[in-house]
Amino acid sequence: MSLLSERLGWIVFEAETKRLHELVKAVLPELDGIVGWEQGFDALHATPVFVNREEDVHRLMWSPLCVHNLSGYLVKTPPFLPRDEGRKVGICVKGCDSRSLVALEQEKFLGRDRLHIFGIPCEGTVDWRRVMKKIPLRGVSSVRREGPELKVEDSRGVHSLPWEESLARRCLRCAHPNPLVHDVLVRDPVEPRIKKDEAYGLVEEMDQKSLEERLAFWSAELDRCIRCYACRNACPLCVCQDRCIVETRDPKWLTQKMGISEKFMFHMIHSLHLAGRCTECGECERVCPMEIPVTLMKEKLNQITREILGYEAGIDSQLVPPLLTFNPGEHEL
Amino acid sequence: MSGKVFIPQDKLASALERLNEKVPVWVPVSQGADRWGIDFKPFRAGMVPVMDRQSTALPKEVIFPQVQTLMTFEYVKAPEDPGRVQLKLEEPPEAGNALVFGARPCDVRGFFTFDRVFTEGPFVDNQYKDRREKTLFAVLLCREADEACFCSSVGSGPADTAGGDLWITPVEGGYVVEGLSERGGSYVQLLGDPATEEQAAAASRSQEEVSRQKVGSLDPSGVVQGQKDRFEDKDFWRSMVNQCLGCGVCTYVCPTCYCFNITDEMRHSRGERMRSWDSCMFAVYTQEASGHNPRPTKLERYRNRVGHKFSYFPEKYDGMIACCGCGRCIRSCPVSIDIRKVVENLKERSHACA
Repeated sequence: MSLLSERLGWIVFEAETKRLHELVKAVLPELDGIVGWEQGFDALHATPVFVNREEDVHRLMWSPLCVHNLSGYLVKTPPFLPRDEGRKVGICVKGCDSRSLVALEQEKFLGRDRLHIFGIPCEGTVDWRRVMKKIPLRGVSSVRREGPELKVEDSRGVHSLPWEESLARRCLRCAHPNPLVHDVLVRDPVEPRIKKDEAYGLVEEMDQKSLEERLAFWSAELDRCIRCYACRNACPLCVCQDRCIVETRDPKWLTQKMGISEKFMFHMIHSLHLAGRCTECGECERVCPMEIPVTLMKEKLNQITREILGYEAGIDSQLVPPLLTFNPGEHEL
Repeated sequence: MSGKVFIPQDKLASALERLNEKVPVWVPVSQGADRWGIDFKPFRAGMVPVMDRQSTALPKEVIFPQVQTLMTFEYVKAPEDPGRVQLKLEEPPEAGNALVFGARPCDVRGFFTFDRVFTEGPFVDNQYKDRREKTLFAVLLCREADEACFCSSVGSGPADTAGGDLWITPVEGGYVVEGLSERGGSYVQLLGDPATEEQAAAASRSQEEVSRQKVGSLDPSGVVQGQKDRFEDKDFWRSMVNQCLGCGVCTYVCPTCYCFNITDEMRHSRGERMRSWDSCMFAVYTQEASGHNPRPTKLERYRNRVGHKFSYFPEKYDGMIACCGCGRCIRSCPVSIDIRKVVENLKERSHACA
């Protein structure tokens, strides 16, 4: 049995995609559109798509290349939300993405009743740069999973890579692969890869380094930052949008200079604004064109939040995030 | 033979060391051991150039730095009359020579867009012109086109040598290098031993083969009209860029994006006037002092981005498209927006209208 399902890994995604189409068609008339993913410009890339009409439903797909967290579209200008009270929009989410929805609901940016959530239990998303680093591909024609391997076909033939080696760092440390909120599930839940306590290995590794070593590490990493702010814009919880401190003129916090101190300031503010809010979806790191591990800063802050406050963001929509509340009785801070 | 030299792969670093003694060299190097991306950096001994893929960031930086001091200023009291304050201005030191080794045809083509704007008048940007004239390019014959590339669609191609001073052709075991300009030619002998007849022939074969390749199938004709027809069609633009995140990646990795911002940074009585890259995808790009923003959302901003490259620029500069087809905006886009698709759709709609 397991052998069969492993061999037919490619077809499993076909099946999930087909199931998604059925589920969407069943409710589309009641929705003011749905946001999901479709095939991108090559076989290694998907791209977000907004679908309103039944004849476009076939464009929607599911595969481990559906890397984008779509929840930001619900809150950023112009927000993708239902036109009228009582209506809903549809959204496809992986486990990590669903936590953003919970966090946004906690912060009252979203009402759960405005959404129809298509949840997709996820076994990890592929990091195309990591794949390219392992196998420099030319003219990729197809990508599929065959059991424990990623199979990629390009102009020179078929290449394989262990599945784990093709995954994004965020996926290797994912403890919530199953959507925490959903109206329907597109497939059966999957086993988490790790327990939450095991998710902070890289943070602990960094903590072993001396202050000087850490400064050298981040200086070298941030030196490459081009200040494109993709990390900020891809973050569903970066809600200041056009009022961001890096761009306001009055008060002016940052200059246009390209020095480390300016970049450090931006990334520190970005991280601190997300302390106790970040759900570690890893979008900031995924979208960085310069491959800077920016999620790591937020992981450190989340580790502290866990240790001191016993709190994890984006798990329970009824909880108030600790840094959004003030309790004079708190004595450990 | 015929002024061509051969650099064995394992002698590339030492050849660049010799070159670097004559002229500061920029080379494409890895962003880190476990990273895919490469970036142009000033050469230092021990650096290993990565020649088998396009860089993420650009050699644009060499001629048009992301941040550049245009002048420094200081307010000083006049010694004879301390009540009077004089403004002392100082120009920054002149830029030095540079040679970009391993630039791809698209990287060099990008500057053709800059040249029209910055050097042809009525206002000439002397700082740009100075650096442009002092920078040489050793262009690589590009054999690494991928699905995002479309240089042949916008007037270039993988064997394009326009704007190059040296031509690098990868062959078995190394590189054949030849001069394209007089200045470039003067460095050829320094780089390696004369190429053997076989090596020179292999290079010529490769050049011929690559020059026959058509990279990309976009046909940008008719886009100028399409942009006009669809300018007000919000539904069209919404359907094209709904997924845009509004970040600045596409503009910052673009070889032809030349928009800049000017800010003064001052401390006490001294300061500097800086020019820095701007991005039309940012809200503050068109933010007016009154608070009004004529491009309030990503829809108007993206429309301008496409319009500028494929419509407004060609209208102003005799049909020249302000895009070199490098595909970086597609490859680096966090949500994989494909500018070719937008351009194609603009055209289709305009045909439908006609």
